[in-house]
Order: sequence, then structure tokens, then C-alpha cells
Amino acid sequence: MEAVSSRLSFPGRRLASSRSALPPAVRIIATAVLVAVAYHFGARFGEQLRFLPVTTSVLWPPNAILTATLLLTAPRWWWVYLLAAFPAHLLGQPAARPSSMAALLFITNCSEALIAAVAVRALGDAPGRFDTLRRMAAFIIGAVLVAPFASSFADAAVVSGLKGEPYWLVWRTRFFSNMLTELTLVPAIILAITQGRPWLRRASFTRRLEAVGLAVLPFGMWALVMLAVEHSSAFRASPGVPLALLLPALAWAAVRFGPGGTSVSLLTTVLLVVWSGSRGNAPISTIQLAEGVLALQIFLISVGIPLLLLAAVIDERQRAQQALRERLSFEELLSHLSGAFVHVPAHSMDAAFETWLRQLGEFLVLDRVTLYRFSRELGEFIVGYTWSAPGVPAVSRVSVIHDFPWLVPQILREQPVGFARLEELPLEAVREAETFRRRGVRSNLAIPLVAGGRVLGSLAFVTVTAERDWPDELVQRLQLVGEVFANALAQKEAEEALRSSEEMKSAILASLASGVAVLDRHGRIVEVNDHWARSARDGGVFGAEVGVEGSFLGACWKAALDGVAVAREAMIGTESVLNGSRTGFSLEYAWGAPGAGRWFALSVVPLKGPDGGAVVSHTDVTERKHAEMEAQRSRQELAHFTRVSTMGELTASLAHELNQPLTGILANAQAAQRFLDARTPDLGEIRAILSDIIDDDKRAGEVIQRLREFLRKGEAELSLLDVNVLVRDVVKLVSSDALIRSITIHLDLVPETPTVSADRVQLQQLVLNLLLNAMEAMTECEREHRRVTVRTRLTEAPAVHVAVEDAGTGLRPGTEDLVFEPFYTTKHSGMGMGLSIARSIVEAHGGAIWAANNATRGATIHFTVPLSKAKTP
Amino acid sequence: MTPVDATVYVVDDDVSVRRGLDRLLRSAGHRVVTFGSAREFLEHRDIVRPSCLVLDIRMPGQNGLDLHESLVAAGRDIPVVFITGNGDIPMAVRAMKAGAVDFLAKPFDDKELLDAVQQAISRSASAHRVVPLRRGVSGT
Repeated sequence: MEAVSSRLSFPGRRLASSRSALPPAVRIIATAVLVAVAYHFGARFGEQLRFLPVTTSVLWPPNAILTATLLLTAPRWWWVYLLAAFPAHLLGQPAARPSSMAALLFITNCSEALIAAVAVRALGDAPGRFDTLRRMAAFIIGAVLVAPFASSFADAAVVSGLKGEPYWLVWRTRFFSNMLTELTLVPAIILAITQGRPWLRRASFTRRLEAVGLAVLPFGMWALVMLAVEHSSAFRASPGVPLALLLPALAWAAVRFGPGGTSVSLLTTVLLVVWSGSRGNAPISTIQLAEGVLALQIFLISVGIPLLLLAAVIDERQRAQQALRERLSFEELLSHLSGAFVHVPAHSMDAAFETWLRQLGEFLVLDRVTLYRFSRELGEFIVGYTWSAPGVPAVSRVSVIHDFPWLVPQILREQPVGFARLEELPLEAVREAETFRRRGVRSNLAIPLVAGGRVLGSLAFVTVTAERDWPDELVQRLQLVGEVFANALAQKEAEEALRSSEEMKSAILASLASGVAVLDRHGRIVEVNDHWARSARDGGVFGAEVGVEGSFLGACWKAALDGVAVAREAMIGTESVLNGSRTGFSLEYAWGAPGAGRWFALSVVPLKGPDGGAVVSHTDVTERKHAEMEAQRSRQELAHFTRVSTMGELTASLAHELNQPLTGILANAQAAQRFLDARTPDLGEIRAILSDIIDDDKRAGEVIQRLREFLRKGEAELSLLDVNVLVRDVVKLVSSDALIRSITIHLDLVPETPTVSADRVQLQQLVLNLLLNAMEAMTECEREHRRVTVRTRLTEAPAVHVAVEDAGTGLRPGTEDLVFEPFYTTKHSGMGMGLSIARSIVEAHGGAIWAANNATRGATIHFTVPLSKAKTP
Repeated sequence: MTPVDATVYVVDDDVSVRRGLDRLLRSAGHRVVTFGSAREFLEHRDIVRPSCLVLDIRMPGQNGLDLHESLVAAGRDIPVVFITGNGDIPMAVRAMKAGAVDFLAKPFDDKELLDAVQQAISRSASAHRVVPLRRGVSGT
């Protein structure tokens, strides 16, 4: 019990310690006034309860009032209440009595109450409660036996000392009178204060009826006794018999109404007997002697004590049984609750929470039960589910963090927090107290909902119509409930996360511009997105017409049989991805009429999962394809344009190249004419001339042929080329130009045949651009340095590596990459396209191009083109 | 009309041009000696008179203009007829300033060449006459 109670975040929950909480001054003063008034009227009433001429009252209520006060209040305020009673005491004293005696009697009265309170506190565990045998026994020993016994010595001393009455007689009188007072009045007063209202509120109609019956019964019985005494001398002779008639009512009270009912019933009986006797009514009138009063008191005490003990025992047993029943039904509730949440499908989770909050609320007779969910994003508790009893306002929207700055951290520390009444809240919870008061909350218990080591929320049990205790056992049980709810919440959160991740997944799939199908490892489609389905509807594209459960491979196979060549390729590629022999596969294909059709890209990648499979995506790439073709055409046009302009640069050189054979032809032909004019033409010479003319003509034709090839406009055409031959051809093209510029071109070519698969025109242009670039770089330098070297080498790649080395001014440091950018130029004339085009040609052939300064002078442009596996034809 | 014993030296790197010019000049009755490069010509010591030089400008190694300038500098004042496939003005101006007899753009007509050669030879012949005279005067 200690362990659990320490888990509650503040200890004021238990009744005793809650009384020790500082009451407001108003409350103390009001209590003090009440004590004084009660004391005064108690004294006035006690005066009435005397069997004249005996001076001592049968009952003396003021002492019981003091004892009850001290049992119900904190010891540190006792002095206030005792002081408050003093004026009332003096006021009630007979005028004849000396004030010293009155004061002394007050002291002895106080001493009795003090001894009783201290002894009950020492013996029992809860002063002011009579609901267990131990508590009742502590009360009887401390307040009924010890206190009257001890205080009566002082009492007797005062009375005998000041009035000269015999000491032991006074002692005896006082002792029994005080015993009876404490026994009958203290439990009645205390229980009326503490239990009266709750009992009245809780009791059913039949129970109230029974209580009325019990209250009326002694009077009825007493009336019977009166009648009997009146008419029967036997009754008159034996007063015990009529008294015994009162026992059934007392026993009834003890069995049915617990200590409270018993003490009230006992008090009623005593008052009835004493009141009746004090008026000289039978049968007490026959014993109007001190001994008679004493006998009556002893009779009532000896009947009262066992009855009160019996009532306590019965009460304790009943409560134990009740607790057991409650525990059993609670456990039944709990097991239903846990069972209910085990197999709740996600969609009825909300309903389950609502239902069980209601069940709990009704079971515990609460006014409101609310489940708050803790949002980590907001750092705030949000009302998740709530139930309110009929007529109780629903939970209001609040900022929990703002309104419960003290409570929230406790919950987040997994600490349950409860209070039976607002006064129990500690001082630092001032904001909580204010919030609860504003919302009419009388008592509250907040249980943290913890699962997987984190706080998911809180379960709040609220009463607004009455205060309510939260016994440790209940808190423990509600923590079990909290665990069930927390696990259900965690499950719900997990399901929500799963659902949102699935929603996210399908949202992603739906947003893709491609048709996507997920295949299992047998090629069966397990999931498709909208786009896939749509392209199936639009028709035409192979494979897309099969939906979920269909076989993509089968669809490919069917399309292949229908003569779709690409479908066969797709089937083989997909199979190879599915069996793991390829890590991916893609192809592009045209669909529909040439020119008007569309282009699609099919890509198959392995599905990264334990069961394998693949993801097929099917994208309309028509736009991209058109753009690519457009770009390709632009590139070709640009390349052609640059070739034409390059030729412009080479005009002089070409003129020379053509002029040489033309000059040879003209000279030879005219020489021949002249030889024929001779009388004896040298036919051998003329034959030689004609042979030279033919050679020159062929030579001129070759030049023109080369030029035409170079300027040819058209699409790229791959063929197997010997790079060495190509380099030599291009060097021939520029050799005249080199001559004009006094540049020597040196060739250092690899002895093997470097065969590449490339477009001849493009590769020629590449080498030409590099050569012209190299020659251009040397315009400014000394003649003797004007030398261009072209090297070819084979690399391990395998590729051919071509280096064009000049001896010019070199590259400005840091511009090695810039030179390949379009429109980058250091020349005054020129577009700066030469090297840019060179780069695009190299890259189109799968090679690399780079520039570097030479160690001594000038720069070298390098490029590589992968070797073809085939040999030059 | 053709003076006998005149020698025409031809320097051109293109063998076909060389052979064509050789035949053309021979058909006109000249003695012809051909060279493939400036160096070959310079190595040929015995230059006879009267003579002229038909010189291609664009050649690998030392080009025609350079050769002419070095001849002038060395005092070997042989009349020169330049031939070039690329008749650009600056080159022609430079050639004429250096004392060239003529400047012919390839391809050229036989008459043009033969006239130019004739003119050059006669210039060479007159120079040839003056020199022995002067030499004779000084020798006497």
C-alpha cells in the first residue's frame, strides 16, 4: 500500500493527512464557533438529563463534543477549539458555582477529551473512523475506558475538594457518566458529521424506509413497555425486562446499519430512557436512586460496547465482501476490456474506446472519463475520447499544457495524479486548482497511458457532483485499465502509421507520371498504379493491358507472338531481372505510325524485398524523344555549319591543293601541244605527259571528293574506321594551310591499327578542329617552334588515345575545362565552337576529351574513343 | 628569238608541277634544271649564265620568298619568276619589291610563263654582259 500511495504524486489523498493540510483561517474560526455553540447547548441539554435529586447528569454532551472535535481536527489547532469552548463552559455554569470550580471542571473536561484523542490516535490507525474492529476497539479503550477513568480522578478531586462530597462517590458517578457519554455521543456526532450526508445521498428509498423503521421502533417498543408496566406488576418489579425489550432495535441497527446506525440507535435509546426516567416515568421512576442511575448506565454501557464492536465487525466484513465483489467485478470488467481490445479491427477502435470509457464511468459511478492523447508534434494533450454522465457537461476544449502546468509534467513522468477534493492540491498547483474550480471539477484522477516506454496520453477520471476518494487499490486497478488503453492506443497509432505509410505509398504511385506495375518473382503483377491502368485503357501499348493478378511475362509473350519485336526483348530483359542475372533493364521503343506515333521507355528494376520481384515502369517519352531528335538535328546542322565555315578558313589551302594538279595538268598539256608541233614529236614524252596528266586529274578529283565527303550533310552513320588513316587524311586537308603558316605537322602513329566504330565525318571534323586549333595557337610564336604533333596510342581500356600537341602560348591556368565550353574563345575572330563541337563528338562516341599544358611550351588536347571489337574491314 | 644556252632553274616541291614545267620550258628550247626544295637549289653550286629561276613560293622548309631574299642578300642576283597557287597581294608586293621579274598565279598559261622567263633571261643576259665589261675594265 505504501508503494502505491507513494506513486501518487502527493500524499494528501488519505483522509487523515488531508486533515493536516492547512485549512483556511476562516474554516478554523467557523469550526471554533461551532464548537463553542455546540458546547453551550450540549451543557444546557446535559442539565436536563438528570434524575433529580442526583446532581450528576446521566449524560454530559460537552465532553463528547470536545472529544469528537479533537478526534476530527489536527492537534496543532486543538488549543483554538479548547479555548473557544471555555466561554461557553463558563456561560453554562450555575450562578451559585464558584468560578474557580467552574474553571477547574473545564480543565478536567478538557483533560478527558485530550486523553481520549491522544489515546485513540496512539491505538488506532484512523481517529474519527469506526469502520473496522481495530478502530472501534481503539476508540472504546482510549475514549470510553481510559479517558473517563483517568480524568475522573481529577474531577472527583475538584468536586470533593470544593464541595466536600465523598471522593469515591464522585469518582464513580463521573466515571460511568463520562463512559456512557463518550460511548453513545462521540461516534454518533462524528459519524453524523462525516458520513451523514454521503449516506443520505447514496441510500436507496427502501434503505431510507428501513432507517425510519429503525428510528421509530424504540419509541414503539417503549410505548409497549409503558403499557406493560402500567398493567403488570411483574414488569414493575423487574426493570431489566423492559430494558431488554430495547435490544432488538439495537441488534437490528448493528447488523444492518453499521457503527453509525448503531451509535445513533444507542443514543436514541439512552435519550429515550433517560428523558423518560428524568420525568419520573415508569419503569425508571422505581429506581430514582443513585444506584438506580448507576445500574442503568452500566446496563447501557455493557450493551453498547459489544453492540458497537459487533457493528464494526459486521461493517468491516461487509466492506471486505463488498470490496471483494467490487474487485471481482472490476477484474471481470478488466478482462472484458483487455479481451475487447485484443482483436478490435482498426476501423472499430474508436467505437471500442467510446464504449469502454462509458463502461468504466458507469461502473465507477463517475461523472466524466476522458482519454487524452499526447501529441509529440504539438507537445500537447488532445482530447481523444470522452464520456460524460447524463446531465454532466462534456469536456471543454482546453490547452492542457497551459491550464495544467504542474500536472502535465507529472503525467509525462508516468506518475498518476489524484485528489479527492480541491483542497488536497498542493500550493504549486495553483493554476490547476483554478482550472478545476472554473470547470466545476470536484475530484480528479489522472492516469498516464504508457506503452513501449513512452507516454501516449492520459486517462482522466472526474467527478463534478461530489468529491471522491481514490483509494490506492482503485488507483492500482485503474493503472491496469490504463495499460490496456495504452496498448490499444499504441496499436492504433501503429495501425494509423501503417495506414498513412500505405496511403503515402499509393499516393506516390498515383502521382508518378509513369505507369508502374509491381511484379512478384514469377512475373505476376501484384500492384499497378492508376497510370498503368490508364495506359491499358488507352490501348495499344503492349503489357499494360494486364492488370493485377495477370502475368506481365505472359503479356509480353503474347505481344511477341503478334509480331511486336520489342515485346520479346522486354520479356527476355524482365526475366533476366527477375532471376537476378541482370540488375536492371530498360529499352525505348516507338509505338504507332511512324512520325505520328509515340515513344515509350520501359524500365525494369529488381524489387528490393525478401521475396524478390521487380518493378516495371512504363513512361511516355515522346516529348523527350522529339526534343532529343530536335537537338540531334540542331547539332548536325551546327556541325555542318561549322564544317562549312572551317572550309572557308581552308579555302586558300584548298585552292593550293587543287592548283597543284591543275598547274601540273596545264603545263604538261601545253608542253605536249608544243612537242606535237615539232617535226618529229617525241611520242614517248607525250605518253609520259598524258600519264602525268591522268595522275594529276585523279589527284584533283580526290581533293574534291574529300571535300565533298567532309561537307556532306546527314545523319550520323557508324562505320569501322582506322584512326591512323583518318588522321593522315585530315592532315592532308590542312597541310597546305600548314605550309602557308610555316607549320610542320609531325605524325607519331601507333603501329597497330586502332579501329573504332564511329561516324567518319564527325571524327574527321574532330581531328580537323583540333589541328586547326593547334595551328591557330601558334600564330604568334617563332617560326622555328611552329610544330604540331599528332600522336595515336592504344590504352588498356581498350581505346585509342589521340593527342594533338602544339607549341603555342598554352592555356591560361584554370581554363583547361573552360575551353570546351561553347563560345569560349581567346581569338578575335571565331565563334568558340570548335572545341565544344569536338567535345560533343567525343562524348557521342563514348569517349573523353581533356586539355593540358605541355611541360615546355604549348598545350595538348587529348581524346579517347573506345576501340571497336570488330576489325577494320 | 630564244637565246640559246640560257638555263632555267625550277624550284617546286610538287613533282607533277616540276615535271610539267620542265617539259614546257624544254619545248621552248630552254635548258631546265629542277629542284624539289630551296635547300636542293642552294646545294647546287654551278649556276650558269644567262639563267633565271622559276620559284614556287609555298614549300615545306624554306619557302620561295625566303630563298629569294637570301639569294639577294648573298649577291647572287639571279632573276626570279615567282609562281604560287595562292596569289595574294602582299606576297606579290613583297616579291616584286625584292626584285622579282614576275609573279604568276597557278595555274598559268604557257605564254605567260615563257614571256616572263624570256624577260628574266634577257635581264640576266644584260647583267651578264655588264659584269665582264666591268670586270674587263677593272682588269685592264
